[in-house]
Amino acid sequence: MDASYLDLVMAQQEETFKDAEGGGGVWVVAESAGGEIAPVTLEAVGVARTLAESLGAYVYAALLGDGVRLLAETLYQAGVDGVRVADHPGLSPFGLEPHLGILVDLFEAEGPEIVLFGATEMGRALAPRLAQRMGGGLIERGTRVSLDPSSRTVEAAVPMYGGEYFEVLACPEARPQVLTIEPGTFARPFMDRYRKGEPTMLDVEPGEPAVRVLGPAEGFRPPEVGLSEASVVVAVGRQAGDRARVERLAEMLGGRVAGDRGAWDAGLVEADQVVDVRGVRVSPEVYLAVGIRGDTFHDAAMADSAFVVAIHADPDAPIFEKADLCVTAEPGEVVRALLTALG
Amino acid sequence: MRILVILRRVLDPAGLVAHARLRRLFINREEYLIEPGDHAALEAALRIKDGGGAEVVVVSGQPEPDDDTLRRGLAMGADRAIYLSGAGFADADDGVAAEVLKATVERLGGADLVLVGMTRLDTGQAQLGPRLAGALGWPQIVGAWSVEIADGRIRAVRRDGDDYVIVETDLPAVVTVPAKALEPRYPDGARLINVYRGEGGMAEAVLQWDVADLMDPEGLVPLLEGRGRDFPPERERGVRVEGSIEEAAQAVAEALRGRRPG
Ligand SMILES: Cc1cc2nc3c(=O)[nH]c(=O)nc-3n(C[C@H](O)[C@H](O)[C@H](O)COP(=O)(O)OP(=O)(O)OC[C@H]3O[C@@H](n4cnc5c(N)ncnc54)[C@H](O)[C@@H]3O)c2cc1C
Ligand SMILES: Nc1ncnc2c1ncn2[C@@H]1O[C@H](COP(=O)(O)O)[C@@H](O)[C@H]1O
Repeated sequence: MDASYLDLVMAQQEETFKDAEGGGGVWVVAESAGGEIAPVTLEAVGVARTLAESLGAYVYAALLGDGVRLLAETLYQAGVDGVRVADHPGLSPFGLEPHLGILVDLFEAEGPEIVLFGATEMGRALAPRLAQRMGGGLIERGTRVSLDPSSRTVEAAVPMYGGEYFEVLACPEARPQVLTIEPGTFARPFMDRYRKGEPTMLDVEPGEPAVRVLGPAEGFRPPEVGLSEASVVVAVGRQAGDRARVERLAEMLGGRVAGDRGAWDAGLVEADQVVDVRGVRVSPEVYLAVGIRGDTFHDAAMADSAFVVAIHADPDAPIFEKADLCVTAEPGEVVRALLTALG
Repeated sequence: MRILVILRRVLDPAGLVAHARLRRLFINREEYLIEPGDHAALEAALRIKDGGGAEVVVVSGQPEPDDDTLRRGLAMGADRAIYLSGAGFADADDGVAAEVLKATVERLGGADLVLVGMTRLDTGQAQLGPRLAGALGWPQIVGAWSVEIADGRIRAVRRDGDDYVIVETDLPAVVTVPAKALEPRYPDGARLINVYRGEGGMAEAVLQWDVADLMDPEGLVPLLEGRGRDFPPERERGVRVEGSIEEAAQAVAEALRGRRPG
């Protein structure tokens, strides 16, 4: 198909829509890293497309950065109808005020109904400021996003206490309705390689950020969280296999190493690392039991874990009754393969 | 140097049971914690006070004037506490709270630094600090792991991807603090007793301000609306992963990716 013809038709459609409805649209504030569109941005485009479908509206993306023009292509392939690009050396690295100024100017002209951000460092800093400046409402870390079509209002379930339950929130009176989504929550859209478009380049003069980055914080270490507060726990049993691999896995997952009583007997972990009702009780987001059989005392001490993965060679190990995901195989081998899969 | 610390309270999750099958939330014990991020923010303020002197003012908008939140803040070492109340404020969202806090800063005659927790323990929202910075027109640092004042500027350690960087900005500023950044000190025993007895100047340290005196209550319209509660699907225990070791590892990696906490 002739791409330039497609561009023309799409540009015309955009114009027609704007004339009829006075702007609007569902917008995604795109983020890029390492020369690619961030995965969470693609997830946001998927959400935006679903919302736009129910609204009868177009999906737009604002792409700000330095040398990002060509990345607009990825956004078109993901299903964005129109991309606005601000490409300027003053937009990298991310600075709040330069980005905010450009987005406010853009959105004051375009009048979006809905604006989506990834709940990344950038999104968390920028979304509330944008909402505050424009009198918009902000729902943070929305999951299960839907639309009340009669009032054109977004409803999103927000995890309470990390997902114990959800509150469904809406901001019916506010425009724009700003929403952030947690990375990894939504499916990425189908990438249509034949979908193309010509981005509109914005003429921008970014201001100075108010916060200056002086350099890396050499030697800074965040405070260690205790095992009982850790959000990821990798617990080993006597047959966990290579110890250094387990350590590396825990590090990759940002978690703490622990063990059961058997691992302590075998000298694999210290006394203060033993998950057991007589030792440490844990309640992490993820509990990875590597070669742990499971018994009453161990299982009770990790029962509050949100998600349990058990790896054990014996298909009848009691731990499998407590686990969400069960792998019956040699634990050491699974750890080795897991390091590759996560790396 | 005046530092304002926002101290909110949050329902202790230890007293809650979310029952997915019955789709009900049981509040078995209604007990409150100081919002952990706010608690760490107060510690950051007190360390600045220990280091070079500062007046630390804690502010809360809780329903009870004799709430433990502010009393504990005073016992930890805050100099003054402001309890905000008033019609319409009880169901304020963070947009409203930011406007009220802006008016509070103005009524105080200004502040050099506002510290507040980064992310709420219950709702996970992280917008009060940035919204307040926007309302005041001050710079913001989101997620400061350590905070230092030197030459009228603030220096903080902030995350940058997987690394940490030092950032700097001019005062006044709004800084949000992650809950795990600093271990809050214990309240001082003697201060605690005085605070609860209302003795030793502690009675005068608590101010009670009506929101209606700070700003037009017409402006206190929340944008956010609750539309009910939802529960996660009941957990399907014991999903077996089939296939080769490599395939099993892929499946586990996939499941972990969606769950790794930021
Ligand atoms: C799941 C869920 C998600 C939410 N997400 C958002 C969101 O993304 N954005 C949003 O704007 N709102 C959000 N809210 C609404 C917001 O949290 C409300 O402020 C809160 O629900 C009020 O109920 P509360 O009893 O916890 O208030 P309390 O914590 O008892 O406080 C009452 C009000 O005073 C404010 N306040 C508390 N302490 C202070 C203080 N020291 N100084 C000044 N004001 C103070 C609070 O923010 C609140 O507005 C959410 C609510 C829920 C339940
Ligand atoms: N306070 C509570 N805390 C937790 N779960 C409860 C509570 N009350 C009732 N349940 C659960 O709800 C089920 C039905 O209880 P009821 O509603 O009292 O008939 C019980 O079997 C419990 O599983």
